[in-house]
Amino acid sequence: MTKLKIERLTRCFQGLVALNDVSFSMEEGEILGIIGPNGAGKTTFINLVSGIIMPSSGRIEYKGRDITYAPAHERARLGIARTYQLIHPLENLSLIENVMVGSIFARGNGLKAARRKARDLCAALGLENLGRDTSKLTILEIKKMEIARALANEPEVLLLDEVMAGLNSDETRLLIGMVQSVAKERCLAVGVVEHVMGVIRELTHRVIVLEAGELIAQGPYEEVSKNPRVIEAYLGGAA
Amino acid sequence: MNRNLLRLAAALAGAAAVALPAFAGAYPLQVARNVIMYMALAITWDMLLRSGQISFGIAGLFGIGAYAAVLGVLRAGMSPWLSIAFAAAFAGAASFLIGFLILRLRTMYFSIVTLALAEIFRIVIHNLPEFTGGPEGVVLEGVIMKGSASGLYWLTLGGLAVALAASWGFEKSRMHFALTAIRNNETSAKSSGIDIFRWLLVAFVVTSSIQGLLGGIYVQSYGFATPDSVFDANFTLLPLAMALLGGIHSTIGPVLGAILLGLAAEWLKLRIPYGHLVVYGIIIIVVILFMPKGLYGLARKVSGAADRRRA
Repeated sequence: MTKLKIERLTRCFQGLVALNDVSFSMEEGEILGIIGPNGAGKTTFINLVSGIIMPSSGRIEYKGRDITYAPAHERARLGIARTYQLIHPLENLSLIENVMVGSIFARGNGLKAARRKARDLCAALGLENLGRDTSKLTILEIKKMEIARALANEPEVLLLDEVMAGLNSDETRLLIGMVQSVAKERCLAVGVVEHVMGVIRELTHRVIVLEAGELIAQGPYEEVSKNPRVIEAYLGGAA
Repeated sequence: MNRNLLRLAAALAGAAAVALPAFAGAYPLQVARNVIMYMALAITWDMLLRSGQISFGIAGLFGIGAYAAVLGVLRAGMSPWLSIAFAAAFAGAASFLIGFLILRLRTMYFSIVTLALAEIFRIVIHNLPEFTGGPEGVVLEGVIMKGSASGLYWLTLGGLAVALAASWGFEKSRMHFALTAIRNNETSAKSSGIDIFRWLLVAFVVTSSIQGLLGGIYVQSYGFATPDSVFDANFTLLPLAMALLGGIHSTIGPVLGAILLGLAAEWLKLRIPYGHLVVYGIIIIVVILFMPKGLYGLARKVSGAADRRRA
């Protein structure tokens, strides 16, 4: 089932076209990789879908409903969740309280129910000592917490903006496995922005490639990675 | 720290506060009333600060409440008690409308506009002499409860109880999560489903209503209001200094700060008239530079370090 349908989505920043006429869809149970060189429009895309910025033109449909201009908090309630490339844990709130926020506001749970759900979620992701201050967490724990915070919305579409950045290869493998099992268990449509191609290869079912705001290729990773236009975009004209 | 011990201490302090008129004379009661009034204002200022919004508009809403109460009695024939409730309702309604205009603003823009608001209210009152009494102000026929010292003290204490209850309510409810998330990062707060404007509006209206309530209590305790007395900048600055000294983002901080600064001011007033304001300024500077989380924050840091050493 199609969860998210993007039609001719365009966003300009004062003359710079960050995303130009991009159309594709995200399906239930599918992990979609979004790749492209720096400045290709990957984060712009996530910001547009999560409602942090509004498009210049085009249309975003979520489960058949037009959400092109819906405010971000409403999209969170409808079932779109995301993580941030620059993580911002909530200071003055403990690990578990950080995870409770989405459950309280996106799902409307009471504090007790939210705490219970957050505890389950943290357990599933292997997070422990939930009363800890977030300043005491390791990078891996912070990344897990970011994913837990997004999952607390109980989303149907999950967008991960470079969650693997800064992790070593063992940690990355661990997190890949976690994202895969969570996506499968909850039948999520997952969008993954990632720079490390190994992660994209292992994690995703399908990939779209952006370059300078345009969608230049899509398909399974093995196929897309052989596409001459994609190789050129990554390695430059000289290749 | 031991939670039950803290509860016990709070209960004892509360009982002592209620019983104070039984063993204190008129002068200490008057000082206590003052401290309590500023303490309540400091708490309301901190409640909004928990969302990251720094308001300089306390005096404005306090003054609005004061005038609503006085004019409610003089122009609409309300009883003094009703007028105090009316003060809270009027300040709340006013802040609701104002909130729609100013709660889209952030950081210093929000602060400056709230500062200007107080001034606008004062000027409006100044310039409607037929209705408001103009610059000379208005005088009530009498003071509430015939000016009984213990009665006025308990009335003010009631105002503080409202502020304390609201502040604890904020701390123990989803409000705490909403305000903390907004203060930390608005973008990520939105992504967690928080309707930022709505929560800010609720916080602004609640704190403004209490400030209006306190204005009503104040003016009924003194029996008169002039624009310069009830919109006095001290109603903004002293609560702010108290909350900063005691420790922001908590209920206990403003309470501590108000007791310390309130008593210190009383003592200084006798030694160096008006010099206490200089001391206030110095305290604000020292606190901001050396202990941005105030005394309460310092205490928590010290006890946290001690805990770690033990472990």
